[in-house]
Amino acid sequence: MTQEDLWPRVEALLGRVERPARYIDREWGAVHKPEAGYRAVFVYPDTYEVGQPNQAIAILYDRLNAVADVAAERAYVPWLDMAALMRENGVPLFSLESCKPVCESDLLGITLPHELSYTNVLEALDLTGIPFRSADRDVSHPLVVGGGPCVYNPEPVAPFFDAILIGEGEDAILEIVAVHREAKNAGVSRTEILTRLAEIPGVYVPSLYTETRDGSGAFKGIEPLGNAPAQITKRVVGDLESVAPPVRGVVPFVDVIHDRFSVEILRGCTRGCRFCQAGMVYRPVRERSADTVVREVMSGLACSGYDEASLTSLSTTDHSQIEEILRRLHRRLEGTGVSVSLPSLRVDAFGVEMAHLVSGGGKKSGLTFAPEAGTQRLRDVINKNVTEEDLLGSVERAFAAGWRRVKLYFMIGLPTETDADVQGIGELVTRTFAVARAATPPSARGSIRVAVSVSTFVPKTQTPFQWEAQIPLDEVRRRQAILRDSMPRKGIDLHWHDAQESFLEGVMARGGREIADVIESAWRGGAKFDAWTEQFRLQRWADAFECCGVDPSAIANRQRTEDEPLPWDHISAGVSRKYLLSERARALGTVTTPDCSFGSCTGCDVCGDLGVEVVLGGERRG
Amino acid sequence: MASGEYRLRVRYGKVGRLRWLSHLEVVRALERATRRAGLKYAVTQGFSPHIKIAFGPALPVGTAGENEYYDVWLTRYTGIDEVFKRLVDATAEDLAPTAVGYVPEREVSLAAGITVAVYHVEVEGRDSEVGKVQSALAGIVELGTLTVQHRDKQKVFDLTRSLPEEMRVKEAEGGCTVELTVRMGPEGSLRPELLVRAALSSASLDASVRSTTRVETYFESEGELHTRPL
Ligand code: SF4
Repeated sequence: MTQEDLWPRVEALLGRVERPARYIDREWGAVHKPEAGYRAVFVYPDTYEVGQPNQAIAILYDRLNAVADVAAERAYVPWLDMAALMRENGVPLFSLESCKPVCESDLLGITLPHELSYTNVLEALDLTGIPFRSADRDVSHPLVVGGGPCVYNPEPVAPFFDAILIGEGEDAILEIVAVHREAKNAGVSRTEILTRLAEIPGVYVPSLYTETRDGSGAFKGIEPLGNAPAQITKRVVGDLESVAPPVRGVVPFVDVIHDRFSVEILRGCTRGCRFCQAGMVYRPVRERSADTVVREVMSGLACSGYDEASLTSLSTTDHSQIEEILRRLHRRLEGTGVSVSLPSLRVDAFGVEMAHLVSGGGKKSGLTFAPEAGTQRLRDVINKNVTEEDLLGSVERAFAAGWRRVKLYFMIGLPTETDADVQGIGELVTRTFAVARAATPPSARGSIRVAVSVSTFVPKTQTPFQWEAQIPLDEVRRRQAILRDSMPRKGIDLHWHDAQESFLEGVMARGGREIADVIESAWRGGAKFDAWTEQFRLQRWADAFECCGVDPSAIANRQRTEDEPLPWDHISAGVSRKYLLSERARALGTVTTPDCSFGSCTGCDVCGDLGVEVVLGGERRG
Repeated sequence: MASGEYRLRVRYGKVGRLRWLSHLEVVRALERATRRAGLKYAVTQGFSPHIKIAFGPALPVGTAGENEYYDVWLTRYTGIDEVFKRLVDATAEDLAPTAVGYVPEREVSLAAGITVAVYHVEVEGRDSEVGKVQSALAGIVELGTLTVQHRDKQKVFDLTRSLPEEMRVKEAEGGCTVELTVRMGPEGSLRPELLVRAALSSASLDASVRSTTRVETYFESEGELHTRPL
């Protein structure tokens, strides 16, 4: 192998691209192990500034670089200008640390952060020169491994991967690399390598499974070939305290999104919102202790030099010791110009209290709340255990304490939604504004802003709503019109998520293997960076569906029966089907289910199935 | 300067791969390095307090700098050797400090005081011999002004004011190096590679600019050009 250092050829292009610092490496904290015998490259399928803050890659990078003779490196998808120049000049995709071709690495790990990133997976592969399909690769190619949030229905991208890790990677990545290395060194065949990988718990090797269809072509199920397990169950780390978060981490030069030091203070969320895939697939709840969090934040800040630390998780203010953590950090960071931020807030008094602690009574950026639905009935359907009093009480408290901006998240198209529920959003926003106004001194009322962000509900796999139909595009537009008419204009900034993108997301979320052809066809038609609204063109996708003979609305907009086989039935997040069905029945009956981390077990079966349990640092405040 | 603050001046380079950073990226990287160094820095008052730090004139993306400066205000006096060592250890190699020293608070700011810079522009290509490039440059200087198109604005530079000294062209590997001194003014500062490019193209030479380095930045006082800020 040539293992050419591509830097001189890369540098020759930098004068002609936007933000060349995306491509130069040399960041503080980047690890260089040029002599390593095994090289793994992690690719995030988007630009540097979107991918660099990804915590999962930071963890895997840290874990793998700790292994002797193994180098972990990073690569991102070059922006359009750079990609065009690279193609023109025959420069292949390179890893940042060694600036060597990615196709000459041993393992290529690609994260799947969301459905609209799939064409960028192909864009990255194309720039490496590695064949798109696992079936077309041989031992000279790196092992292409997927992971990340989208693996709970891996079928649309399954043919592109040699293996896909379901669940948490802290331990699994070490096992995958060890098995792959040993097999490579032993010189075994590619088929044998894949067979050995499939023996690792949580590792799905798509080529060892086949789809069955009936005479009319309808999907009947996915069956293992040979000895592969019939079901692949997610990997989960029992106790977060046993795995230290990466302290050093790579500190970017480029102005990235979430440009701060992050510590994951807890994993999982058991509030049980029925639309929420993250809540279902990242169970159970595991907290890091207050001592650990404070220690990690302080040493992380010292090593990185950031002026902001973020305490991340799905529901940070649910941490049983969050108050203590914030008070201690506040004391330690006073007078340093370094701040702490919380990414998500509870829609209740406690949430506002915590926000106050974070802002230290000083700078008050906007608060964000997610009531998700406009009426209590619909909030009960989705199990968002939040009342209108909670929301209005919090807004009142916040504005009385000096906040002037609040952002509210809603969805339209939730199961059982009626026009009255859509109008309910407008009414709730109207009342929110009135409460904010009343709590604000007259002289400051002009600066009150209520930002309303509305997305279209996309049913996700492994949730109680995985059988539901997504509302079609014309219905989205009709409901958006109702919403717009029910919403006051003054002081309200109404923002929609692109409905067409949500439609495509819905197809990708629940489609089967046939979608792989569509993704490839769309990429060939020019689709990439689909999550960048200005790059997204529905027409490219319409052409691709047509050309592959796939009806997208039969996937997104169709109600499924409870007994029909689903393309992701062979993937288990640990939450039982029985529980999902009972939650679905409760939703349709408008019955709510409490959070198991506050009270007793609600029977999702994760703990039993995975041999793990909820880990709390103290008692939670519900 | 609030009482009990010490104005530390740091000389550093922006070289190697890091010449591809933008000014904002350099600023952020050096702020982070200062925090990593564990220095007790002063914090600005106001809405969102942040580290008290001030930089000399910006370098464009792609342009290297060998003697650049920033001032950072410390709340605890720490010996020069100690400060220097800590900063070196905490800064990326290609942005590393080369000297530090304390300066009086009343001294003019770096941004306002530094008005003169020396650049080296590397030229390569078939027609990049010293003689050809020299006469091309002479042709441009003779015109007296250089008009530069920046996005949709036009800027006109008076070359007698912008170029206080004669340009020198020296032989270099694969071509030549143009050494020039540029005075920065309220109308902005002349980008030396634009001047060189304009010269090459007006003389129809088959040569191009390979790289630009700002080798020195100077305070200018009473006709005295070459005062280093540190
Ligand atoms: S609170 Fe609800 S929406 Fe948020 S992570 Fe938990 S389950 Fe999901």
